[in-house]
Amino acid sequence: MKKTALIMVCLLSMVSVPTARTESQKPSEPIRFVPLHIYIDSGQAPLAAYQFELKTLAGHVEIVGVEGGEHPAFTHAPYYDPAALMNNRIIIASYSTDAQLPTGLTRIATLHLQITGNIEPDYELELTVAADPGGRRIQAKITYQKGDVQ
Amino acid sequence: MKNALLRKILFAQIIVVLILLYVGCGRPSKLMHSIEMRDSSLLSIPPELASLSIDEVWVIVKPSAQAAADQEHPGCGAMVVDMGEEKEDVPLPLKHTDVKGYIYGYIASVDVTQQFHNPFDTKIEAEYVFPLPQNAAVDDFIMTIGDRKIRGIIRERQEAEKIYAEARSQGYVASLLTQERPNIFTQKVANIEPGKDIDVSIHYFNTLAYADGWYEFVFPMVVGPRYNPPCTTDGVGAVAYGSGGISGQKTEVQYLAPNQRSGHDIALSIEIDAGTILEDLECTSHVVSTEFPDDQQAAIAISPNDSIPNKDFVLRYKVAGDKVKSALVTHSDGTDNYFTMMLYPPEDLSHLKRAPMEMIFVLDCSGSMSGYPIETAKGAIKRALKKLEPDDTFQVIRFSSNASQLGPKPVQATPKNIRNAIDYVDKLRGSGGTQMIEGIKAALDFEHDPHRLRLVSFMTDGYIGNEAQILAAVYDKLGDSRIFSFGIGNSVNRYLLDRMAKLGKGAVAYIGLQDNSAEVVDLFYDRISHPALTDIEIDWGNMQVSDVFPSSVPDLFVGRPVILTGKFNGTTDSPIRIAGTVAGQPRQVVIPADTYETASSHEGVAAIWARKKIEQLNAYMLAGIDEDFPEQIKNTALRYGLMSSYTAFVAVDSSRKTEGDHGVTVAVPVPVPDGVKYKTTVQERTVNN
Repeated sequence: MKKTALIMVCLLSMVSVPTARTESQKPSEPIRFVPLHIYIDSGQAPLAAYQFELKTLAGHVEIVGVEGGEHPAFTHAPYYDPAALMNNRIIIASYSTDAQLPTGLTRIATLHLQITGNIEPDYELELTVAADPGGRRIQAKITYQKGDVQ
Repeated sequence: MKNALLRKILFAQIIVVLILLYVGCGRPSKLMHSIEMRDSSLLSIPPELASLSIDEVWVIVKPSAQAAADQEHPGCGAMVVDMGEEKEDVPLPLKHTDVKGYIYGYIASVDVTQQFHNPFDTKIEAEYVFPLPQNAAVDDFIMTIGDRKIRGIIRERQEAEKIYAEARSQGYVASLLTQERPNIFTQKVANIEPGKDIDVSIHYFNTLAYADGWYEFVFPMVVGPRYNPPCTTDGVGAVAYGSGGISGQKTEVQYLAPNQRSGHDIALSIEIDAGTILEDLECTSHVVSTEFPDDQQAAIAISPNDSIPNKDFVLRYKVAGDKVKSALVTHSDGTDNYFTMMLYPPEDLSHLKRAPMEMIFVLDCSGSMSGYPIETAKGAIKRALKKLEPDDTFQVIRFSSNASQLGPKPVQATPKNIRNAIDYVDKLRGSGGTQMIEGIKAALDFEHDPHRLRLVSFMTDGYIGNEAQILAAVYDKLGDSRIFSFGIGNSVNRYLLDRMAKLGKGAVAYIGLQDNSAEVVDLFYDRISHPALTDIEIDWGNMQVSDVFPSSVPDLFVGRPVILTGKFNGTTDSPIRIAGTVAGQPRQVVIPADTYETASSHEGVAAIWARKKIEQLNAYMLAGIDEDFPEQIKNTALRYGLMSSYTAFVAVDSSRKTEGDHGVTVAVPVPVPDGVKYKTTVQERTVNN
């Protein structure tokens, strides 16, 4: 058993040598993954649909996933516009035909981000449209909150 | 027990890595540059491939009787009872695949959900190589963890791979979908904790094939074991479960031995809204249940007793009248208008007769054809020989690791010569490799009789990994020949055979192992006994079309329409005029505006158009045309959010890190396709390996 373990250690160390060399040649910018929670406050109006745009003002950020929100009407993963993604921004949209819709402040999406480098990112968030079940535009406010990794 | 298995897999992987690093193959560095290597290795493909589109391929006939059908209730079958020997259970990280399809007109919208589960007591990464239809426009990807759904992002492939690798190494649950061939994909799911489930859902659109009044929906369930010629690394290796890495190929499929089984099963259900009256419907591969909510709709589901994913699911249906009601389908995405339409051949072609033929049969006698497949192919050849007319000539060629033939040159189709050929065919057996290139050389290299139309008929399962080389050879040597092939088996490499047929300006017929090959051959000969409408040009009237794919319209044969897809800026209120020649004589066909003025709309048309554009750009690139096609393919795929060779879907759950390192990679082994022999197709680890 000890002999097998020794062989395993030797083999693993042999395998890891070229990998270590390769990595030492790359610039070692830290990479981390964080969630970014998006909230809409529609006041008294039921929220049935929304579209927003997110831009990064500082930092090197890649979006690596789009998750739904907390209210049952918006738990499904929202859609994004792939064409917008090519221009370093993301446009997210979703709608719900549920009878029960959120009012007030609700988390409507979570964006999963990969951040490269030490610059703390800053974001610009614009709510393009929010609508009620009748398709009428409603007044609403959009905000974000940087999430924690468990 | 499971940990012991994992340790074995880990140990085997280390050994393989060491062999590759230090014995001289240099595989790790080649893997790092896999995309670049693939590009340069395929530059020998001919320019004519640039006009290939899978939907143009004339598929004459499909398998028709693989599942036992209940005669009283079409589509409902008998219970399947497995009376086989006791098998060893193999724990694996993919427990179930669920397929839900919706068909409207001739466009299918399909959701495929793969349910991964970690049966081990340590973390794993699951890796699964699986097939999808070769014309699938994959446009959505969702990873589900518990109740949470995370939509994956389409990225440039190398970027997606880097994101996935980083997330995996840091302990985040992540998934990555890459495309290895237009019909072969790899799904990876990282950091699946012990006992946990993670679902991955993929969505695609594709157009259905149509021939002789029947639409056909096909869902492939398993990648067939491919033969890769020596010195290739870009193929698809077929190795035994637990023997990962021994094939030396970029992509590798692990197969379960005959005495092994996994718990992986598949459920599949399809809803059809034909838009007109459904006349007939049959599932040609599986035992299914069928319901008809009304005369235009149907709901079909695979029986739970026929849920082993080891053969293509094939569903066919026929609608009232000769032509589909909504042959023109449109869609506007706010920026552009898209259309797709079926173009039908002139009906009077069926009254004209063909010229004498020089018929060349090329039989794949490799190991994967051993047994029932080769017997089915031999039956088809013998039937075809008997269908020849006295003015015809013929030749029979066999190939496996090499090629040989009945005689030095084609002989007249006399009764005596046909008897000799049947004796020759009867003696052929399946064994050895699949050097299809030898068969192509033998079939196309010799001088052909200018007074006869030469038809070359390949009889093969297409289980090779060097498709590009084969297609290049077909182009180089085709000359005046036409390729009319038979795909033999229940899980054929349709990507290869469809493209050979198109490049060879011919057709393909698929024969399932339970099919009556005589019926297929008869229909085949019926179809090729009439000339086609060729040299087609289209006046689109007021539509103002652009970017139409295929860019040059293929020949129109009896019973086989062609699907055209493009953009338009005008209106659909004027007739479309089709000009061409039949047997050298000019011919014009007019499609009145009222045929399609009630064009229906379908959200999938834009994705289907983009998929065809990618296919055409890929063909230009393979043809060696000097432009930056990878960049164009990538940009098109990114613009429309589609999978391609240069894009990939990645999803990361950044909200939680799992504990420990990323664990062991466990490949999902699959059964060999129904009717394929494991022993003659799957590479097993030997002492030297």
